[in-house]
Amino acid sequence: MPPSPPHRAPGLWRATWQVARKELRSSFRDRQTAIYSVVLPICLYPALFWLMIQGAMLVQGRREHTMVRVGVAHAPGIEVPAGLVDALVAPPRAADEAGGEDAPAEPAPAEPQAVELERVEVALLGVFPDAESAWGEWTARADEDRDALLYLAEDAQGASASVLAYDSSQGRSSLARRRVQPRVEAFAHALRVELARARGADPRSLEPLRVEERNLAPDEEMGAYVLSMLLPLLLVVMAVMGAFFPAVDLTAGERERGTLETTMILPVPRLAVHQGKIVAVCVSALVATSLNLLALGLSAGHLLEMISAGAALEIELPLLAFAAIAPLALLFAFSVSAVLTGIAALAKTFKEGQALLGPVQLVFLVPAMAAAMPGLELTPVTAFVPVVNVVLAFRSILRGEVLPLEYTLTALSLCGYALLAIAFAVRVLSRESLSVAAETIPLRSLVRYLRSERGAR
Amino acid sequence: MHEPAHDPDVLLLARGLRKVYHDPERGEVVAVHGLDLACRRGEVYGLLGPNGAGKTTSLRMLSTILAPSSGRAWLDGVDVTEDPLEARRRLGFLSTSTGLYPRLTGRETLRYFGELHGMAGAALEARIEELVAAFDLGAFVDGRTEGFSTGQKQKISIARAVLHRPPVLILDEPTTGLDILASSAMIAFIEGARDQGACVLFSTHIMSEAERLCDRLGVLYRGRLLAEGTHDELRARTGAAYLDGVFLALVREADREARA
Repeated sequence: MPPSPPHRAPGLWRATWQVARKELRSSFRDRQTAIYSVVLPICLYPALFWLMIQGAMLVQGRREHTMVRVGVAHAPGIEVPAGLVDALVAPPRAADEAGGEDAPAEPAPAEPQAVELERVEVALLGVFPDAESAWGEWTARADEDRDALLYLAEDAQGASASVLAYDSSQGRSSLARRRVQPRVEAFAHALRVELARARGADPRSLEPLRVEERNLAPDEEMGAYVLSMLLPLLLVVMAVMGAFFPAVDLTAGERERGTLETTMILPVPRLAVHQGKIVAVCVSALVATSLNLLALGLSAGHLLEMISAGAALEIELPLLAFAAIAPLALLFAFSVSAVLTGIAALAKTFKEGQALLGPVQLVFLVPAMAAAMPGLELTPVTAFVPVVNVVLAFRSILRGEVLPLEYTLTALSLCGYALLAIAFAVRVLSRESLSVAAETIPLRSLVRYLRSERGAR
Repeated sequence: MHEPAHDPDVLLLARGLRKVYHDPERGEVVAVHGLDLACRRGEVYGLLGPNGAGKTTSLRMLSTILAPSSGRAWLDGVDVTEDPLEARRRLGFLSTSTGLYPRLTGRETLRYFGELHGMAGAALEARIEELVAAFDLGAFVDGRTEGFSTGQKQKISIARAVLHRPPVLILDEPTTGLDILASSAMIAFIEGARDQGACVLFSTHIMSEAERLCDRLGVLYRGRLLAEGTHDELRARTGAAYLDGVFLALVREADREARA
């Protein structure tokens, strides 16, 4: 053999990239990593979308086919108005529900399909002193389901004081309320119109103030709002999930496979090896996050439509928002990857690495969930709160808010946290005891471990 | 940094190498007490010792995996503490386990190490082909190493260790767990490396292997080098006819001294 190698070895950054490339190749050949970093993000949204549609169809179908039973009782001296029972049995037309001016005086003729689908069975219970005693009597009947009670009464001035009684802890009872309430209102409206006509008055004079809900938010703004509530949290979750398995695989997994010694004799600075691992984990996190965004982009319209109860939404992720989110996501992914890599390196086996990272994940997920709640905004102060800052910044960007100071502060703080996290991971990985420890180093010994002897460079 | 009065034929030199571990329960544990040894070009040096004698720790210090607590060592004149990176470039190392990356193919493993040694392009591919032919890797080199037999793994590991033509080879119990065929191949490899002028340091507790291969031997016991020399020198010192007897005589003498 020649006396010494004549080759020119790669520098620190080139070596870092070569190590990262090898780790990525190795990592993505691992089934678990491939599933969590690639397959899951791609399949998550279409699967979620399909499941939600199926679920909604199932629930809707069951609901429509469920018949509810409503008892009608009345106070002494009060009579059940003619046509009320028919109005309760027959589903109201859309116009009736909206309380339109042309509401018919008589209940809508029952269409066979509608009656079949949203049936209400009515039982006349007779006279009771109050709604509670009628409800008690009605629900005490054990032979069949009792879902709601309409108690007709008047107050001392002769005004209607009727009660629709139901039990909100029972799904059927709540369904009965939702089904009966608009029918009662439609019947009452029809009565008012009839009464006004009988007196030769304008029906509108009986209803001087009428309020109608109307959402004026443009579809695209509504879409941006829903997206801004959902996406930041998902980005954080996917970054953590994407980094989880590679972090364990490249550290604890390496110790378990017995390849740590081989890695330690690589003819490159140890720093390049440590950095290469962190870069590989970070790339995995970014791959998972990007695939997640892509899948979300492809199915977001349908999915968010389901989430927002059928509202028509226009989902669009502007290029500018992407450009603003990308560097923040990169810095955040570096922080997550470095922390997870550093902690997972303490473990002796893959399984123990997973166990160690379980609680560590929460360090990222809990603040992210807290920040996702409405009410918290990106300010120069919150821009420095780890994890919270990135969620709030993503949200502001998606809403189209222009906050240059806050975004800059967020980027700076993310930079700082990423550097701290990388320094932490490199410190953990460079301790000599990592290569000789016979057991997993518990988290409670982390500080003592970090003070232990450093290995060769 | 080069060692004082560097002899270009001494490719591996250790002076007073000591390793102390800090055990949270037992306090300071001295694994190796001031190891001195030298291995010359074209020489095979065998480090003998029972399990726990400090062989692996010594080899790990010499190969820059562990930093010595005190003492110095040089590989081909390069200080392993001062310039561990340069020392690693002059070293081919084989651990007890083959330590192959299981999800890489044999060829990818060789290419990876070659690139990190600064080899590239046609030169690297030519060197890989040369090793594929030399170690008869052709039938399996493009498969993932996780599917290899122990013998196949060992062959890839050897090819990986000599890929960059290192002047120093350190082998930690290279025949442990190998069948007779793979063992023979390993012994042939060590003999071949010596013939090509490499300095080979290997640890073993298999006396017959050491007897056959080693030009010089060191007996390590409880972290101390009890004796060092050629077979004849060691036999003369202990009066034993075979290496087993030499080893036992030295160990018993050390135990007697420790008790006294």
